[in-house]
Amino acid sequence: MRTGDYKQTYGELVALIDSPPVWLWSAVLLLALIVAPYALNAYALSFLTIILITVTGALGLNILTGYTGLISLGHVGFLVTGAYAYAVLVSKYHMHPLVGFLGAGVVPAFASLIVGAPSLRLKGLYLAITTLAFSFIINTVILEARWLTNGARGISVQRPEILGISFDGDAAFTHLCLGIAILTLFATLNIRRSRVGRAFVAIRDNDTAARVMGINLHAYKLFAFVTSAFITGISGALYGIYLSFVSVEGFPFLLSIEALAILIVGGLGSALGAVLGAILIVLLPEATRLVFSLFSGQLDATFTTGAQELKSMLYGLVIILFLRFQPRGLVGAWHDVRRTWVHWPLRY
Amino acid sequence: MQYLLQLLISGLAIGAIYGLIAMGFAVIYKSTGLVNFAQGEMTMITAYIAWTISTTVSGNVVVVSLGAILGAILLGLVIERVVMRPMLGEPVFATVMVTIGLAVILRSAINFIWDAYPHSLDVGMGREIVRVGNIGVRTGQIAVIVTLLALLAAIWAFFRYSKIGVAMRAVAADDRTALLMGISATRVHALAWAASSVIAGIGGVFFALSYDLSPAMFQLGLKAFPATILGGLDAVLGSGLGGLLIGITENLAGGYIGSGMKEVAGFAMIIVVLMIRPFGIFGQRDIERV
Repeated sequence: MRTGDYKQTYGELVALIDSPPVWLWSAVLLLALIVAPYALNAYALSFLTIILITVTGALGLNILTGYTGLISLGHVGFLVTGAYAYAVLVSKYHMHPLVGFLGAGVVPAFASLIVGAPSLRLKGLYLAITTLAFSFIINTVILEARWLTNGARGISVQRPEILGISFDGDAAFTHLCLGIAILTLFATLNIRRSRVGRAFVAIRDNDTAARVMGINLHAYKLFAFVTSAFITGISGALYGIYLSFVSVEGFPFLLSIEALAILIVGGLGSALGAVLGAILIVLLPEATRLVFSLFSGQLDATFTTGAQELKSMLYGLVIILFLRFQPRGLVGAWHDVRRTWVHWPLRY
Repeated sequence: MQYLLQLLISGLAIGAIYGLIAMGFAVIYKSTGLVNFAQGEMTMITAYIAWTISTTVSGNVVVVSLGAILGAILLGLVIERVVMRPMLGEPVFATVMVTIGLAVILRSAINFIWDAYPHSLDVGMGREIVRVGNIGVRTGQIAVIVTLLALLAAIWAFFRYSKIGVAMRAVAADDRTALLMGISATRVHALAWAASSVIAGIGGVFFALSYDLSPAMFQLGLKAFPATILGGLDAVLGSGLGGLLIGITENLAGGYIGSGMKEVAGFAMIIVVLMIRPFGIFGQRDIERV
């Protein structure tokens, strides 16, 4: 019987994986994900790709909003800058795709310094409004800078070929997204358990106390912005490649809200939460469509005519219901289930 | 010169609409401490209610405006009771996210209840052009400026002299002490939501009158943000005046720099204001004690 956690060193406490069964299951999951692109049909594969891209983006926002507690309503701004940076570098100037990906991270990171600077003075709602304003300004800048971005016409993007490996096929592209998503996951997990991550969480919990303990608020807040924008930008580049066309319309403001919804549904401040939330939010419209198709006829027809509206309505509803009934998100629910399982029949 | 005057007048007119919506933001912020991200959507729904009345019941101005005001009150009360009151006592982040969720739901609901096509609201007046000197102004534009000024005066008097107004200020200043003095915070919140819905709704109806009614109208809420930030989130009167300033700035930027600038002039202004004076021109500085 498991009666508790026996951890005697600090290293054991911060270890990413603490027991052999977890190792085993993680390996099985990874293998399944690697094999999946060959086994799934094109329709299911597109969902897997979208989930992986979304996970990357959500992990990026999680560093800023989940760990550091700075709410951003303008993350779509970083997404779109990343996508455009990649498209301009690779499609327009024919650079190497790896340079494109680097640019897709670095350009939003620089942009984030501009948005991050006011955040040094602002908190909470005011910061959220600043980032909101930023995302609208970015859109206009992109539309106006026609010499660089083709304005409203957008730029078409080819699937990349990196180090002799072509990512042209759907399965291969999914592998690319999988690789980047896993790298991002490890990066955020490692940031969280390092000194930097602890500083972020300290700032989130009480910034005055964090400052008293010697954390440089300005440096760490800016660092959170830069890291978050870098990751989000890369996710934006992947999304642009997936759509094979980058335009301002491809990145509507709703994506910012979707990203926050993912964090809330998954559980704020947890990498696992960002992953679970991304899966739920991406699959939600599809799941609803399946439920609707059970009631044949009219409901189904409503869904096909108003699919986009119903989809955004669901986001709204899911955000409200989770905040109301399960503020700790899916991760919180998962912890409750696990605790009940371990301690049953005792309550705790 | 004439070009400048024309820009100023139309800036004032659209600014008055922003001002009305910004006052809606400020009324809610002042009494509940929340930024209501669904304000633009609520404005749009009130305008659609007015349009439905004008096409189905009667196009008479009095009937339409009374109906729209009643509809806006009902909308505000229902949202407060069903969505916001259960969140009482939760952290601000959670509550504000609820208003964002609400905004998304309301925005999509428009397409289900009404449709996605633009309509024009016709109440038989407001579109005539009056010439002042050699500048053409629509009567609707004059009406909205006058309405804004009248509402500013009325609200000033309301907060200054009426018992309910004082109660609302008390809740805003310190809700716990207000509770101890026998003021019902929930009732004050309900009143604030209803009032905000009506004030912003008036702006929405005027917008529909001068321009057109379409599901993209929720963007008015985003456009009114700069106004309320400029005037001060907790300053109702300041927000109204902030709207006028933003309207003029936007029009001048659009007229002299480029149409792209018109869209973002307000947002650029937000960033400038937040850098220099985050609490707005008329807002109160937040002093944080540790």
